[in-house]
Amino acid sequence: MRKKTLCLLVIAAVILLPDPSIGQEEVASRYYHYRSTEMSTGIYEEYEVRPRGIHALFDGDKERQRDAGISRSDESESRAWNRLFLNDSHRGIAFYEYRRCVDCHPGNAQNRHTVRYGITCRQCHGGEPIASINHYFSRLNPIRQHTHVCSKCHSGAKASFALYAVHEPNPARASTIDSIPFLFYAFWIMVAIAVLTFALFIPHTFMWIVREIFHREKKQREE
Amino acid sequence: MRLHRFTLFQRLFHLLLMVSFLVQATTGVGRMYAETNFGKVLLTPFGGFYNALVWHKLVGIFMLVLFGVHLIYIMIVALRLRERSIMGPDSIIPNRMDMRMMVNHLGWMVGRNKIPPFERWGYWEKFDYWAVFWGMVIIGGTGLFLYDPLISSAIMPGWTINVAFWIHRIEAILAMAHVFLIHFAIAHLRRHNFPMDRAMFAGGADLESAKEERAAWISRLEQEGRLNNLTSRDTSLPGLVVSYLIGFSAILLGLYVIIGGIVNFRYVTW
Repeated sequence: MRKKTLCLLVIAAVILLPDPSIGQEEVASRYYHYRSTEMSTGIYEEYEVRPRGIHALFDGDKERQRDAGISRSDESESRAWNRLFLNDSHRGIAFYEYRRCVDCHPGNAQNRHTVRYGITCRQCHGGEPIASINHYFSRLNPIRQHTHVCSKCHSGAKASFALYAVHEPNPARASTIDSIPFLFYAFWIMVAIAVLTFALFIPHTFMWIVREIFHREKKQREE
Repeated sequence: MRLHRFTLFQRLFHLLLMVSFLVQATTGVGRMYAETNFGKVLLTPFGGFYNALVWHKLVGIFMLVLFGVHLIYIMIVALRLRERSIMGPDSIIPNRMDMRMMVNHLGWMVGRNKIPPFERWGYWEKFDYWAVFWGMVIIGGTGLFLYDPLISSAIMPGWTINVAFWIHRIEAILAMAHVFLIHFAIAHLRRHNFPMDRAMFAGGADLESAKEERAAWISRLEQEGRLNNLTSRDTSLPGLVVSYLIGFSAILLGLYVIIGGIVNFRYVTW
């Protein structure tokens, strides 16, 4: 009788009690879940990358370095979503509340994201206080820009995708060499090819058309 | 009398390339000028800004497939010609003679010598043919890279999308300007071909004009006894009407794109 009761209790416990902790991967292995869901499937806003000064501890161990600082992000824990932790880059600017972003950053609204798709500055940079994109808890910090900003529209965006320059530098300017050198060189190589092609063929075609007019006239006179 | 310069297969390639190129030009320029009325007019037949991109991508894939089929075609042609040299007078591959012909042609333009006797392909035609190759590699390659930026950025850093976009755009402008200004002017505007060179369409090229311009080729065909096989009477009226309709539609669209592009250039969001 005791054995039977014990067996029934064990069966009931297996059915009714929650899974053992090893099955609760969200608690047991947060960074694994981050990598297996957010990074691969595009499920976002559950985990965040948090900057911590522990990279030096894993000097040389690239795998551990990569996984370091990834932890669960929820309402109570998230620093990137909580703007309390941000510095205010615009602190001290007179009449700041009455200014628009483009008053001080006029060129930054001239990009395809803003003009074509109507994306406002705050949709990416967030509300007040607006911190530098290099601030630890900024959503635009390169460590989390892809998950917290890009993926709003580009589901599945990864860190490499966030390297696309939304505020693209003018490719013709020499200063672009400092930010995206390939863009500068590719632009001028392509322009050189186009200019050489037209420098040869536009006068060639024009001269040909003009010459044929006289050629025909001469032929007709001979006839 | 008319002279058949191109085979049916070659004319079909040209027609498909022409139609797909015009669709790409219209949708691409339309999106580039999306903020202007000019751009909106171009995008309207394709369902607006977003749908035009779908057309642009699908037709881009079609062009790459067409390019692949053409590569297979030229391989078959090259294998058939193995007994003869692929650098022979019928070859589209540029050679030293083309350079000499170009110099002589320029000399004729400035009145220094007689018009050179061209062979089957003029140097400008060889340039046009190989320009499509280089354009297809550059525009097609960058277009494929831009097809899905999420996948592309998994292979290359995200800033390469900025670079690919500029290369795609400049090469496309170069291709459009070359086709709509230079190719159209040579094929339609010069007195030799005015109002349209029908060599690629129904009926073929005018034999008398070909005798004057391609004297070397015509005399070779006469020597080989092949001239009669390549000549025929002109096409019927419907064929003529369809040829002119296609040709002039392409010119009108090309001119609209070029003029609209220049006039609205300052409104582009780069």
